[in-house]
Amino acid sequence: MPDMVTLSYPSPSSKPQQRQFNPYSENGGTILAISGADFSVIAGDTRQSEGYSIQTRYAPKVFRLTDNAVLAVNGFAADGNMFVKQVRQRLEWYRHAHAKDMPLRAIARLIQTMLYARRFFPYYVYNILGGIEEDGSGAVYSFDPVGSYERESCRAAGAAQSLVQPFLDNQIYFKNQVALPGHPHPQHLPLLTVIQLVIDSFTSATERHIEVGDGLEMFIVLAKGSPLYGVENIAGVQEMTVTNEGERIFVVRRNLKRD
Amino acid sequence: MTSIGTGYDLSASTYSPDGRIFQVEYANKAVENSGQDLSRSTAIGLRVKDGIILAVEKLVHSKLLIPEANRRIQTLDRHLGLATAGLLADGRQLANKARDESANFRDSFRSPAPVKYIADRLGSYIQVYTLYSSVRPFGISTIIGGVDQDGPSLFVIEPSGVFFGYHGAAVGKGRQLAKTELEKLKLSDLSMRQAVLEAARIIYLVHDDSKEKTFELEMSWVGNDTNGLHVPVPKDLLSEAEQKAKAALEDFE
Amino acid sequence: MDHFPTNWGRPRNDGFDAYGTYPIAQRPYNGLGNDVFSEGVQRTQQPIVTGTSVLAIKYKDGVMMSADNLASYGSLARFKDIQRLHPVGTNTIIGAGGDMSDFQYIQALLDDLMVEEFTEGDGDGHALGPGEIHEYLSQVMYARRSKMDPLWNSLIVGGVKDGKRFLSYVDLLGTTYSASTLATGYGSYIAQPLLRKAVEGNEDNITEEEAVKILEQSMKVLFYRDARSLNKYQIAKITSDGVAISESRSVDTQWSFADGIRGYGAQTQ
Repeated sequence: MPDMVTLSYPSPSSKPQQRQFNPYSENGGTILAISGADFSVIAGDTRQSEGYSIQTRYAPKVFRLTDNAVLAVNGFAADGNMFVKQVRQRLEWYRHAHAKDMPLRAIARLIQTMLYARRFFPYYVYNILGGIEEDGSGAVYSFDPVGSYERESCRAAGAAQSLVQPFLDNQIYFKNQVALPGHPHPQHLPLLTVIQLVIDSFTSATERHIEVGDGLEMFIVLAKGSPLYGVENIAGVQEMTVTNEGERIFVVRRNLKRD
Repeated sequence: MTSIGTGYDLSASTYSPDGRIFQVEYANKAVENSGQDLSRSTAIGLRVKDGIILAVEKLVHSKLLIPEANRRIQTLDRHLGLATAGLLADGRQLANKARDESANFRDSFRSPAPVKYIADRLGSYIQVYTLYSSVRPFGISTIIGGVDQDGPSLFVIEPSGVFFGYHGAAVGKGRQLAKTELEKLKLSDLSMRQAVLEAARIIYLVHDDSKEKTFELEMSWVGNDTNGLHVPVPKDLLSEAEQKAKAALEDFE
Repeated sequence: MDHFPTNWGRPRNDGFDAYGTYPIAQRPYNGLGNDVFSEGVQRTQQPIVTGTSVLAIKYKDGVMMSADNLASYGSLARFKDIQRLHPVGTNTIIGAGGDMSDFQYIQALLDDLMVEEFTEGDGDGHALGPGEIHEYLSQVMYARRSKMDPLWNSLIVGGVKDGKRFLSYVDLLGTTYSASTLATGYGSYIAQPLLRKAVEGNEDNITEEEAVKILEQSMKVLFYRDARSLNKYQIAKITSDGVAISESRSVDTQWSFADGIRGYGAQTQ
């Protein structure tokens, strides 16, 4: 029937067009933490971006939780800020109930529980928790968005993870480096070496990744009774804790390239 | 109170044989002298050309109280205020209800609620508490005042739930004397400032120095002078009014 | 491992660039309609009547903000006298892009909030400033996105309270940030670079006249390039003296050059 109008079904691939709301976004940036024998360093850049646009040059991604715990969050900024807010509230409730700060490993477990509770609508956030354990050792915990976590000596996450982590593997874990006979690789690196590695990691990531830059915010947590290791001489260093009785936290802010 | 003891005064849900609801009448007693110091006070409202003035004689039953605590005049919305005589806590409950009503009206119609509408809703609400044996009628008389599209208006709601509009209103212990004084005024000719002075004078006059303890004069206004907002009368005007009220009182005596 | 939660539980996508080795524009598509939410979840609204960019900068005396008066219905310039700058209390202004009915709902929310503050606070000496308004709005916006029922707006909140300038952003995802220059929508691509060049590092020196000039210039560029914009806009300033929103105004434009353009549309010669 050549003169008949045929109402053809749409081809199977062309489903009805509908705009779907995507509740997630990615806001770039990178975070990094390294632990030593009696200290921990947690750092992040301060750029927040979406696509090719820089939203702001200063949006903190690293937060002091207690006198011995610092949390870095990276991924979807709205989730990150909300998550930090909620963790802080839980820590406050803990303080009211127990009249002390929650220990680091308990905070780590709390974070896993809170992340996993949202397993089916996850916080799109990579968390790195750094601080001092109850035994006085420096520690880093890293998490995936649904709560899988482990304690490590170092971890990078975020946009430039694939640039920074291999560098850290080489410089911290001495991967692909063969020790001279009788000169084994050290178990822990000194604080100033670690700080230098962190700064170098971020200048390099800034150079090679468009989502990294503007500013570097680096928190240094020292164990109770630990020496200062020269932290006090770093330009622009600022102490965040009020006593030197317990653990001490310092913050260092640096400029990164803004292009 | 010849019918006391006949059994018809125990529940609001039962009339007496001569058609009275004693619980509501007792509630009216509670407004003026329930025996609790806190509730023995007088509240007045003045409706003048450009606005409304509310004033309360608030008895201070203890020197330990913070000045201006336990306010008896409350704000319901930008343009609405409420003053109560009677049980303070009942007044608070009613004010919260009124705020809800006013907010709901705004959500529904995108405009501020008329004073009469709020008076009507609160009247109905209070009336419900005169129907059941399981509840107690409100122990307050309420003056609600505000400025809406039609200008200033003033209403009084009684514990029975009945409400009337007034040019000048007085509730509580000293209401008779206050009404007499209000009747002498040319309310529609007064400016808001003049009305504030008159209100202060009446409250000072009504206050019974010999029987009562110290009191605080609490005053608020809403109208042209306040940009349509219900706010406390400013400190300097309040103290001026108090001074003049005291002076007038001495002349009177 | 695949670090994109939206890809989890689905057959592995070998095209996925797990290590970010490609520039963003060339990465395999992992966005809309290609994730676990593409089926069997609540469908959401879409913006209908929309406003375009809002611009805001900090300057010497406070914060200045501008937005045009157009509310578009798709590509139709539907309403040409819409105010998109809205005062909240005496220290704050919010500017809105995106869905205008959602914006009106937000205005109602804030009005309720301010009435509540007025009645219950009753002169307690605490007033909500721009910081509090912004925090409230971000909680609302984030809560709604988490219900998969977003308020489809980009909002800028600006103000001055206790001598401190405040300027912050929040959008339908609950994403927040603050900076000395902010721009929403098309303005974030076209005007933001101009604003940054003029303002960054200069916040404390720019006078009111200069600030107006900077915004006028940016609104003009936006009017030239943003097809959903209108040459009729308002400028608001917030200083320690309070808020002031201007009457609608326009800038002089020059279109004669358009005749000389060749290579687009009908004229190819």
